[in-house]
Amino acid sequence: MSQQQQMQLGSKERSLFKQVVEHYEAKHFKKGIKFANQILTKNPNHGDTQAMKALIMNAQGNVEEAFVLCKAALKNAMKSHVCWHVYGVLWRCVKNYEEASKAYKFALKLEPESQQILRDLAILQMQMRDYEGYIKSRRMILQSSGPRGKNSNSRQNWTGLAVAQHLAGDLYDAERTLTTFEETLRNPPSKSDNEHSEAVLYKNTIIAEMGETERALDHLEAVFKNNLDRTAVMEMRAKYLLQLGRHQEAEKAYRALLERNADYRAYYDGLREALQLGTSDTESLKTLYDDWAKKSPRSDTPRRVPLDFLEGEEFRKAADQYLQQMLHKGVPSTFANIKALYSNSAKRDTIQELAESYLNGTHAPLMNGSSEKHTTGEEDSAPEKSPFDMAVLYFLAQHYNYHRSQNLAKAMELIDRAIAAQPDEVNFHMTRARIWKHRGNSRKASENMEKARSLDEKDRYINTKAAKYQLRNNENEAAIANMGKFTRKEAVGGPLGDLIEMQCMWYITEDGESYLRQGRLGLALKRFTCVYDIFDTWQEDQFDFHTFSLRKGQIRAYIDLVKWQDHLREHPFYSRAAICAVQIYVRLFDDPQLRDESLNGLNGSLDKMSPSEAKKAQKKARKAREKQEQADFEKADAKKTAGAGVDGESKKEDKDPKGAKLVGTAEPLVEAMKFLSPLLEFSPGNIAAQQVGFEVFLRRKKYIPALRCLSAARSIDSAHPRNHEQAIRLRRTLSTLAEALPPKISEALEAEFSPLVSPDADLLEVNSGFLSENSNSAAHVQASLCARQVIDPQTADDNQKDVIRTLALPSVSLEDAIRGLDLLKNWKAQSKYQEDYVAAAHERWPEATEFSSKQD
Amino acid sequence: MAEEPQPPNIHEGVDPTEETPATAPPASAEDRKAAAALSSLDNQNDDSAAQTTKAKNIDQEALAKAISRLELSTGAKVEPSRQSENMKQFEERKRKRREEKERLAKVKVDAGDVGLLVQELELSKTKATDLLKAHEGDAVKAMRAFVTAPV
Repeated sequence: MSQQQQMQLGSKERSLFKQVVEHYEAKHFKKGIKFANQILTKNPNHGDTQAMKALIMNAQGNVEEAFVLCKAALKNAMKSHVCWHVYGVLWRCVKNYEEASKAYKFALKLEPESQQILRDLAILQMQMRDYEGYIKSRRMILQSSGPRGKNSNSRQNWTGLAVAQHLAGDLYDAERTLTTFEETLRNPPSKSDNEHSEAVLYKNTIIAEMGETERALDHLEAVFKNNLDRTAVMEMRAKYLLQLGRHQEAEKAYRALLERNADYRAYYDGLREALQLGTSDTESLKTLYDDWAKKSPRSDTPRRVPLDFLEGEEFRKAADQYLQQMLHKGVPSTFANIKALYSNSAKRDTIQELAESYLNGTHAPLMNGSSEKHTTGEEDSAPEKSPFDMAVLYFLAQHYNYHRSQNLAKAMELIDRAIAAQPDEVNFHMTRARIWKHRGNSRKASENMEKARSLDEKDRYINTKAAKYQLRNNENEAAIANMGKFTRKEAVGGPLGDLIEMQCMWYITEDGESYLRQGRLGLALKRFTCVYDIFDTWQEDQFDFHTFSLRKGQIRAYIDLVKWQDHLREHPFYSRAAICAVQIYVRLFDDPQLRDESLNGLNGSLDKMSPSEAKKAQKKARKAREKQEQADFEKADAKKTAGAGVDGESKKEDKDPKGAKLVGTAEPLVEAMKFLSPLLEFSPGNIAAQQVGFEVFLRRKKYIPALRCLSAARSIDSAHPRNHEQAIRLRRTLSTLAEALPPKISEALEAEFSPLVSPDADLLEVNSGFLSENSNSAAHVQASLCARQVIDPQTADDNQKDVIRTLALPSVSLEDAIRGLDLLKNWKAQSKYQEDYVAAAHERWPEATEFSSKQD
Repeated sequence: MAEEPQPPNIHEGVDPTEETPATAPPASAEDRKAAAALSSLDNQNDDSAAQTTKAKNIDQEALAKAISRLELSTGAKVEPSRQSENMKQFEERKRKRREEKERLAKVKVDAGDVGLLVQELELSKTKATDLLKAHEGDAVKAMRAFVTAPV
């Protein structure tokens, strides 16, 4: 049918149509549209041309118009596979894979021979993890013929089918497919054939996955000698031998691996298992590691690992030797390498004693090596000048700055001594900044880190650190200026645009959190949305690999990629941004005033005004903002025309740089779900995720999911104070419902919830019971005050006063105190109480920026 | 967008016989360099000479047989005598899973309950139906299980 239509075109139009396609391929969209329009003026209802035009419009970003045009094209040419194919592409671009797949299938029905449609469908099925469908498509591809002859001639199409079968769980089918292709080869492939080498190992992993280790080993032995990935075959062989209990051979295999790389812990673990040494057999283990330490004098691992299992006097001896060696060498990462041992408090104390003894010179110097000269000779004449002494000072300063061995005054004293001796050492100033951070003084922390940066302006690491500390101190401008020193300055939007393009997530997240602290919710949401989009991009990026990896024959890496993608949003970067974003949306729902972005500048002051004054102020702010927006718009417009590229395409402009649209949403809870659903699906073990989930579901009146979040939070940490607060609030909500719940809902709900808080319970009583049981923990007290506020709003005044009292608790931490202040702000507490609170907190944490900035 | 949508009538992969159309030179010097680097990347593996030698090495007769067997071979029709012990267990597990699926497919569920779960639990229709079926169509049981699902 479509061919008939093509026929209807005159020869001139036919060649024009070809050009449209060519221009599309070359991304000359404007020309493509021009030629398409030429055809359409003569043949206004030519479906294929309309579809091509829609495709180009879509590529230009006019998604909605593209859909309209493509639908019109379909009306004109119902039976054209081109139109259906384009329709599928459009759906795919808006990530509606279901519809895309339907359209592709329809196109394929009209044109069963089209390789392109078949491949597009196959890739889409892979992306959707529709393995059954993928197997079918892969088999069709294998059986058909492409531009280069029969597809079955090419290994990648066989491997493609095997991958489909493997991922669908049909391991034996997958193996058989791979073997079938191998059997069609007349001669063994050349030794340098990487595709073959990879395919063989891929088959081997499938056999191992079946649990047939014996057979996997035999298969591996057969290809061992010629395989190109030597490390992989050696590792797999050692692993199989160990699994089969062939310990002597396994031992040999692991020793061979260690000869190649004596710094890889996993090999030592394998060797230990092969030797059947328990973790308690410390003597044999120590000898084992000592042997390797002797053999590889530059390796850290055989020296460091014994510190994990040695105890008591043995540990002291080994730690002493290790530390002295490292400190004499002046290895800056010594502390970072050792701090994991601090979870064992005896080891922590031993290390502290040792390091202190180095500092005051009471230690026994190492017998071997050049160490003695340094410690004895120079120390008397010039104290604290030898590299060893400097390393010790630096080590101890970090030690006392670490949370498990914290003594911030001492840490500061030590680092100041180090700086006095060597004022230009970047690391020392960096540690000094960290000490200030732990004292809660983000301003001084930022200043010190900036000082460290200024000592080595070419170092990207310290530059990054300085920017991070500036963000922690809400100096967003300074931070971006620092980051800009290392960006390419090519993207639209200055250094920030570069960072977004480079997917620099730590920066975007920290920037967002900084704006959140400042109450600039629009910008904060903007950043968190950006993180969300980056994860989306990563998921989309897979599309390329479904074909690329097969073509390159890198199948094992591809399988790893697919499995990693399946858990993509487990990443802490996602949960961190998502939790913050959901919290913001909840606040926007609770307090719609916040939606007016311009109000954020007036925050707080508004509450003090009379209603009419407040209205005036709001109006004024809105007008000012509108004016500003208009000016911005005009400026951007002017820039656009000036900066248009050679081909008339301008780079994408951000139409909402401040996030005003995001913050102005009419349905914050719906927006919150976008972040929340993947969060709960992929990080169910994150208690903060469950807690924000509860808040959203409670407000959306979805009580079963709310209870699910609560019960999940309880199973993660049964003692968490918010469990109590949320349980009380859920009960309170359920007992004051205006409309009864559907009977089945209420039955299921009560069956699970009554054991936690009975429907007849006197909530005030339950709450005061909780309060008196946990009166020494600030976090628990805060939680119960929150609950009381909800049960009986009359208690507001008492609650506010009681929050101030928590500051007097002996165990109260700086984090508790900051949360308490947030609580008062959320309650819109009287300003007098807020001031009292800040003053009391300032007394307790004189260094903390959080409580001092208001008075300075 | 991760991948540019492909036009409907070009074929995937580098086709060494086809010249890049002269009408479409890369826009800038930078782009040209990038394009050259990209295509040389492909050439390492995809170079046409290597492809032909590889293709020549394939026994076409064996290939034809293999293709004709393809329909039969997928779906595991290996004679029981030739199956390894592990394979038998594997097939057994697969069979059990299939039977369980078939059993669940027969469980009757009330459309109203499905609607209720979709509405209140915010599940997709398929997932709501599966959850109900796994609990013999009892909505209350299903929802209780939903609440206490292990983290």
